[in-house]
Amino acid sequence: MRQAYEFEKTYGELILRCSVCGFCQAVCPIYGLTRRPALNARGKMLLLQEVMRGEMGLDQDLVETLFQCTGCASCEVNCPSGVKVTEILREVRREMVNTGTCHPVFTGMNEILAGSNNIYGETDPPEYLEGRKVNEKAAYVYFAGCVGAYREEEHTEVTLKLLDRMGVDYTLIDEVCCTGVLEDVGYAVHGSKAETLVERVRATGAETLITGCPYCMRTFTSRNAYIGLSEAGVRVVHISQFLSTMTFDVQTDLVVTYHDPCDLGRHAGIYEEPRRTIGRIAPRFVEMEHHHAQSLCCGAGGGVRASHPAHSIGMARRRLEEAEAVGADVVLTDCNSCVHNLSNAKLRRQKLRITTVPAFILSLLEGEERA
Amino acid sequence: MLEERIKQELKDIVGPENFTEARIDMVSYAYDAMGAKGRPDCAVWVTSTDQVSAIMQLATREKIPVTPRAAGTGIAGMAVPTHGGIVMDVMRMNRILEINVEDRVCVVEPGVVYVDLQKALAPHGFTLPTEPGSSVASAIGGNVATNAGGLKGAKYGTTKDYVLGLVVVLPDGRVMKTGTRTMKTSSGYNLTQLFVGSEGTLGIITEITLKVVPLARRTATALGLFDSLEDAGRAVTRTMSSGVVPSVMEVMGRYLIQAINEGTDLQLPEVNTMLLVETEGYTRAEADAQMERVVEIFKDNGASDVKRAETEAERADLWAARKSTYPVTARLNNSILVEDVTVPMSKLAELFREFEKVVAQYDLKVAMCAHAGDGNFHPLITFDSRDPEMVERVEKANDALFRMAIAMGGTITGEHGIGTMKAKYMTMEHGEIAMDVMRTIKRALDPHNIMNPGKMDLNG
Ligand SMILES: Cc1cc2nc3c(=O)[nH]c(=O)nc-3n(C[C@H](O)[C@H](O)[C@H](O)COP(=O)(O)OP(=O)(O)OC[C@H]3O[C@@H](n4cnc5c(N)ncnc54)[C@H](O)[C@@H]3O)c2cc1C
Ligand code: SF4
Ligand code: SF4
Repeated sequence: MRQAYEFEKTYGELILRCSVCGFCQAVCPIYGLTRRPALNARGKMLLLQEVMRGEMGLDQDLVETLFQCTGCASCEVNCPSGVKVTEILREVRREMVNTGTCHPVFTGMNEILAGSNNIYGETDPPEYLEGRKVNEKAAYVYFAGCVGAYREEEHTEVTLKLLDRMGVDYTLIDEVCCTGVLEDVGYAVHGSKAETLVERVRATGAETLITGCPYCMRTFTSRNAYIGLSEAGVRVVHISQFLSTMTFDVQTDLVVTYHDPCDLGRHAGIYEEPRRTIGRIAPRFVEMEHHHAQSLCCGAGGGVRASHPAHSIGMARRRLEEAEAVGADVVLTDCNSCVHNLSNAKLRRQKLRITTVPAFILSLLEGEERA
Repeated sequence: MLEERIKQELKDIVGPENFTEARIDMVSYAYDAMGAKGRPDCAVWVTSTDQVSAIMQLATREKIPVTPRAAGTGIAGMAVPTHGGIVMDVMRMNRILEINVEDRVCVVEPGVVYVDLQKALAPHGFTLPTEPGSSVASAIGGNVATNAGGLKGAKYGTTKDYVLGLVVVLPDGRVMKTGTRTMKTSSGYNLTQLFVGSEGTLGIITEITLKVVPLARRTATALGLFDSLEDAGRAVTRTMSSGVVPSVMEVMGRYLIQAINEGTDLQLPEVNTMLLVETEGYTRAEADAQMERVVEIFKDNGASDVKRAETEAERADLWAARKSTYPVTARLNNSILVEDVTVPMSKLAELFREFEKVVAQYDLKVAMCAHAGDGNFHPLITFDSRDPEMVERVEKANDALFRMAIAMGGTITGEHGIGTMKAKYMTMEHGEIAMDVMRTIKRALDPHNIMNPGKMDLNG
């Protein structure tokens, strides 16, 4: 008798439930780009079904597909059989890592995080800390996350300027990576980092933790390691939720569209808050062809930007084509990762401005854009 | 196993980025949407007719089986490479080459996904009205090669009614053009239609000229509730012979209604049978007048209630039950078999009833629905594929279904195709002589039997 894999205990039934209908092919951004059926959810489930029948092992050959998924959940929301693809992959990857099989980029990511407080191994603190409250008492903590701190510092800086301008009583903290991504790529959240982070937030006495990153928000609200936040009565909100209750006395006549980040939309169900904010400042708002639960992934998630950079950029290009097709001048989104990837993918001839909602609001307030 | 020199030649033809023999690809190309299996030796993504031609010359020279594949949503084992060899994936040939509403045609490559064509035609006020249930994923090449149909078959027919011409690469690599881009032709054998529904057994389609039709401007929608199947059956027959041609006439049976209620919050009335019906018109009055006649017929034939949609939202509500059919039943067990026998319309109620007896005899869970407007019966049989005894019962019920349909003057497949899964019933339906002619055609075009071998019982 073949020894069953661990993942089969929890997810075996669900994997078999994939009726191989192929509907996920229509919505998988990686398939859309590559037209390679081994990479979409059906391909992944067929392989796992073969593993469960003992026809192959969880071996190196599978890394190319099982570790290539942005975690966008488009397949899940469209799956007629209710197959929870992202959960299944998380569990399978964990088991593969435990038996020494992983994509080298993710092994590297885990190693970096073992010795660093951010996924880039950066040592200098971000410059926007200067002149701002750090680790002090305040009503709110603003948490930028690694991308916001080290790849999209400018976007974080202007978000903070907006909070300053609005007179929000917030403090920053010496951030440590939430390490949520590690769980997605087969490793585990670093308990010690989580403890440090929870401790630093609690020390501020803040009742609300505002995250700039939708993924950090999900990590804080869904992973056990962060239970200390809710135990201390700290509410976690994303900046888009926070801003949706505010009014801004500015408007733009530019054509604005909104890219739903997968982590904010499909994973957290936050679609309307950002649109409420944008609706108030941009009367010429247009939706792209794919939006809300059917939004196209920008290609950055699930570590794909690091492991398969060309595919990641390719997915972002497809998204920008949609923005162009509806005649947008501005692409707004509410995730630094999305901004980062979409900006990197922008072609020189594309006149689109790609930025976050808070950054755009601030630029309107400061009169940089045509009001 | 293919020799290295052959793989190299394939790579030279399509480019290394369009060739694969990676295990992950070989597994994903081993199946279609029904789980039938046969592992290929390699796969190529073709991007031009010239490449397809070069590959077929090579395959003929070396006698290597080639299985064309589009989106792989077929549900009869049609795209499964049962004899190994090369899978030829056409999904990277996905350009819409022309939309010309003056001539009422469009020209596409085979890898264009149905909904993408539909979206591209919509701004012109036109459509390809065949919309299969798999429209979001399946491709035009697959639709043509299977003669796919959809919900609107009663009014608009199936894919064959829209294919005007093709470019086909024959098994020996010659590139043939069939048909015309005109609305009519009486010129020569109808080679176009020979390839429609040929399931990749005669050649590879690389370009398709389709007739397009104006989008329906107005629709009227209603849902009829019936306490007995006989009443519903009679209502369908009377409607279809009344002079009104509904664009949609869908039957949903009792167990399906229960399953929908268990799997959703739609709270449908648990009646014996529901009929979802739609009429279309250039004006609202035209659509409504036809619908009024349908409602009258429904009521005269025992409908306990008929709900009519007044707004788009109400229309969506009436459709919600039908649309949830597949998702709801797919979750009932780990496997699902969707059959599609088709009988003369007047026989549909009898087939429903007789099959219910079979289902009871074999103790199966079957959600019954049908495109009643064209006699196309779709029982969705859910089962546990790991239970061999249950699988055997499913096979027996299927066998009974096919025999009943043929005995009623029907066909074993209205739109899904034969593939491997229904191959053994081909002679029962068509008889020895027709099979002999089909095999003669197959041999004439594909003497080495390399073109999607093992399908449709063509090889003896
Ligand atoms: C949930 C679900 C619902 C469905 N609903 C419907 C429905 O309502 N109506 C319906 O008709 N079908 C339906 N189908 C079945 C399926 O979608 C159709 O048969 C569809 O036409 C297959 O298209 P494909 O692109 O997936 O082709 P594939 O499955 O890839 O191929 C099908 C056949 O076509 C051949 N082929 C593909 N491309 C070419 C080419 N370029 N040249 C020559 N041969 C080629 C293949 O060799 C194979 O024999 C459904 C399937 C599923 C899973
Ligand atoms: S949509 Fe769901 S059931 Fe269908 S192939 Fe994809 S994962 Fe499987
Ligand atoms: S989560 Fe997204 S990228 Fe991953 S398989 Fe599903 S659709 Fe594809």
